[in-house]
Amino acid sequence: MTSYILKRIGSALVTLLIVAATTFFLMNAVPGSPFVTEKSTPEMIARAEAKYGLDKPLVVQFVNYIKGYFVGDMGVSLKMQQDTSVAEIIFNQNKLTLSARIGAYALVLAVVLGIPLGCIAAYNRGNWLDGLLRVITTVGVAIPGFVVATTLLVLFGVQLNWLPVRSGSLETASAYILPVFALSFYPSCYIAKLTRASMLDAINQDYIRTARAKGLKTGKVIFKHALRNSLIPVITYLGPLAAYIITGGFVVETTFSIPGLGKYFISSILNRDYPIIMGTTVVLASLIIIMNLLVDIAYKLVDPRISLSKGDV
Amino acid sequence: MERKMPNYNIFHAKVDDILAENEFINADFESATAEEKESMVEMHKSVSYWKDAIRRFKNNSVSMAALAVVILLTLFAFVGPYLIPYSYEEQYRGSMKLGPFEYSESELLAKEALADADVLFYTELMPGSLTSLKKGDYAFSYKGSWYLFTLKKTLRSGFLMYNESKADPLYTVKEDDYLAGGDYETTAVTYTVSKDKPTSEDITIIKMSSSIFPHVFGTDSAGRDIMSRTMYGARVSLLIGVVASLIVLVIGSIYGAISGFLGGKVDFIMMRIVELIYSVPDVLIVLLLQVVLMIPLQNWFDTSTLPIVRALSSLGVGIVSIFITFALLYWVGMARIIRGQVLMLKKQEYVTAAIVLGASNTRIIRKHLLPNSIGQLVVTTCLQIPSAIFLESFLSFLGLGISAPMSSLGSMCSDAIDTITVYPYRLLFPAIILSLLVLSLNLVGDGMRDALDPRLKK
Repeated sequence: MTSYILKRIGSALVTLLIVAATTFFLMNAVPGSPFVTEKSTPEMIARAEAKYGLDKPLVVQFVNYIKGYFVGDMGVSLKMQQDTSVAEIIFNQNKLTLSARIGAYALVLAVVLGIPLGCIAAYNRGNWLDGLLRVITTVGVAIPGFVVATTLLVLFGVQLNWLPVRSGSLETASAYILPVFALSFYPSCYIAKLTRASMLDAINQDYIRTARAKGLKTGKVIFKHALRNSLIPVITYLGPLAAYIITGGFVVETTFSIPGLGKYFISSILNRDYPIIMGTTVVLASLIIIMNLLVDIAYKLVDPRISLSKGDV
Repeated sequence: MERKMPNYNIFHAKVDDILAENEFINADFESATAEEKESMVEMHKSVSYWKDAIRRFKNNSVSMAALAVVILLTLFAFVGPYLIPYSYEEQYRGSMKLGPFEYSESELLAKEALADADVLFYTELMPGSLTSLKKGDYAFSYKGSWYLFTLKKTLRSGFLMYNESKADPLYTVKEDDYLAGGDYETTAVTYTVSKDKPTSEDITIIKMSSSIFPHVFGTDSAGRDIMSRTMYGARVSLLIGVVASLIVLVIGSIYGAISGFLGGKVDFIMMRIVELIYSVPDVLIVLLLQVVLMIPLQNWFDTSTLPIVRALSSLGVGIVSIFITFALLYWVGMARIIRGQVLMLKKQEYVTAAIVLGASNTRIIRKHLLPNSIGQLVVTTCLQIPSAIFLESFLSFLGLGISAPMSSLGSMCSDAIDTITVYPYRLLFPAIILSLLVLSLNLVGDGMRDALDPRLKK
C-alpha cells in the first residue's frame, strides 16, 4: 500500500511539473513582449523586462520559477496589480476563498443531491418517477453549464426577482443559492445517473438475494448492502468532479459577476500577466491533481477486490 | 434397400452391425410439401451488419426523434440564412434593440408602402451602406426579367418602388415625402428591361422585397438580426463539431491502432504519452492555447499564399485554434478505445492469416483492424461532436473562442448577460438552440452506440 501511495504521489508531482512547464512555455511562445502598449518605447520595454527577469533565457526563467515555488515565492504581478506578490493575490485577496466556498458547497450539494436521486430512480425503476428523473438527468448532463447558469439567472433573478442577479462578493446568504445550484446541477445529474446504474447492477447480485432471504428489511438491504457497493463508481467520479467544479467555476463566476479566482484567471490570460497565469494554473492544477490522487487511494481502500500487492498501477 | 436387422450380442458387438443400424433407408424419408419448401427459404434471409444496426436504430424512438431535431437544426443552420433577408454581421441602423417579431420604424413604413407597389427596396436593408442608396447603376430581377436602372440622385432614407400597373413603374420616394402623402419622383431613375443577368461589375445587384420580413428573434444593441446570428452560430457549432471529431478520429484511430498492434515497448511508451495527456487538467491548458495560438495563426494567415491556408483563414483564427486544440489534446480517448479494440482483434485467426501471407503492418491495420472496429469508430466520433460543440461554446462564452463579428452561440449568450435584466430573450434563443443541438446530438450518439455495438448497452 505504501509503495503504491508513494508511486502515485510521484506521478502526481510529475504531472504537476508538466502542467507548469507546458503553461510556462506556451505563454512564452506568444510573440512579442507583455509590456508592449501603444505608448511604450523599446527602452521602456527592455527596462521592464530586465526588472522582472524576462530578458534571461527561457530555461533559466523556468528554473527560477520552480525554485521560487519551493520556497513559496510565486513572483510578482507584471500588469494587473503591478508588483503585488502573486501569492498575496491568490491567497490573501479573498479570490481563492470565494471560489473555494462556492466550489465546496457545490461539490457537497452535488453528492447530497445526486446519490439519493439515483437511489430513488433505481428503487422506482420503470415507473413515472424514474422516467421523470431520467429525463432531467439526461438533459442535465447534455446541456452546457453556462446555459443552466444563465437560465437560472433569467428565471429566478430577472423574471421572478427572488434572488440577486449579481452575486458580487457573496455577502448575503441568498447570493450563494444561484451560483452553487448552477455549479452543482451537472454533477448532481451525473452522480444520479451513475448511482442509478450501479444500484441496479448491485440489486441483481447474489449477496442482495442472500440479504433478502435472511429476512432483512428493504431499507437495510438498500443502505447496508446495495448502496455501499454502488458508491464505488461515484467515488471514482470525484476526481473528474473536482476538475469540473474548477472549470465550471469560471462560467459561474462570469455569469454571476463574482470576483473569484476563475474570473481573475481568465483576465490574466487575456492580459498576458505571466506570473499570475503560472501561479493560478499551478494552484488550480494542484487542486485537481490532489483530488485525483486522494480518489485513487480511496478507491483502492474502499474496494477490497482491487489488489494492491500485485503492483498494478 | 431393406434395413438389415442387427444381430445383437452384448459381448460381441460388430462394428458393421452398429453402422448398419444407423444407416437411413428410403422409408425413413418423406418428401417436403411445397409450403414447407417455401417456409425454409423464407426463414434464412440474411441480414447485414448495417441493416441490422439501422433496424435497431429505427426501433429506438428517442434516437429517431433526436435525429429529426438534428436534421431540422442542420436545415436551420445551413438553409435558413438563404431564406431570411438579414445578414449575421450587418448592423441595421434603425433596427436596434427590437424585440421578437418587432419591426423598426422604416420597416413599418415599408410594410405600409407595399400596398402601393409590387416590390420595393427600402434603404435600411442595403448591405454596406449607411441607410442610403448612392447614385449609380443597379439591377434587380422581378418575375424572370432583369431591370437595369440608373439612379441619378442618392436616395437617403426612402424607398425604390416598382409597380407594374403604373405608367412609370419604377420610382423613388423619400420617407418624408411618403409621410406627407406621397410625391413620387419618377425622374430620378431611368431603366431598361432585359432577359439576361447583367455581367458588368459596375452594376450593383439589389434585392427587391415583396414583403417585409420580421426580426423573428429580435435584434441586438448594434442592430444585428439575432435569428440570422443564431443560424450562423449553429452553423459554426456544427462545423466545429464535425471537423473536430474527424480530426480526433484520424489521429486517435491511427495512434491507437499502431500502439495496440505493435505492442511491447512501443505500446508502453505510446500509452505513457496518452496517460500523461489524460492526467493534465485539459481546460486550463486549452484556455491558454486559445490566446497563445491567436497571434501566430493570424500572422500565418496574413503571409501564406497556400490555397489551404487561405481556406482556413476564411474560417477565422478562433475556429482554427479550436481545431488545433482538438488535434493536440482530445484524441487520447479515441486512441485508448481503438487500442483496446485492436488488442482484442489482433489475436483473431484472420490477422494471423494475413501475417502469414506476408501482409505489411500498414495493410493489416488498414484492411483488417480498423474496418473491424468500425462500430467503435463511428460511435466514438458521433459522441465527440456534441462535446466539441460544448467546448467551443464554453470558450466563446468566456470570451476566448470566437468573437464578433463572427457569430457563435456561446459568445451570443455571454453578450446577452450584460443586458439580461432588460432583454432576457437575447439569451433565450441562442441558449435554446445550443441546448437542443447538444442534447439531440448526444441522444443520437447514444442511439448509434446501442445500434452499432449492442454489447455496450447499459
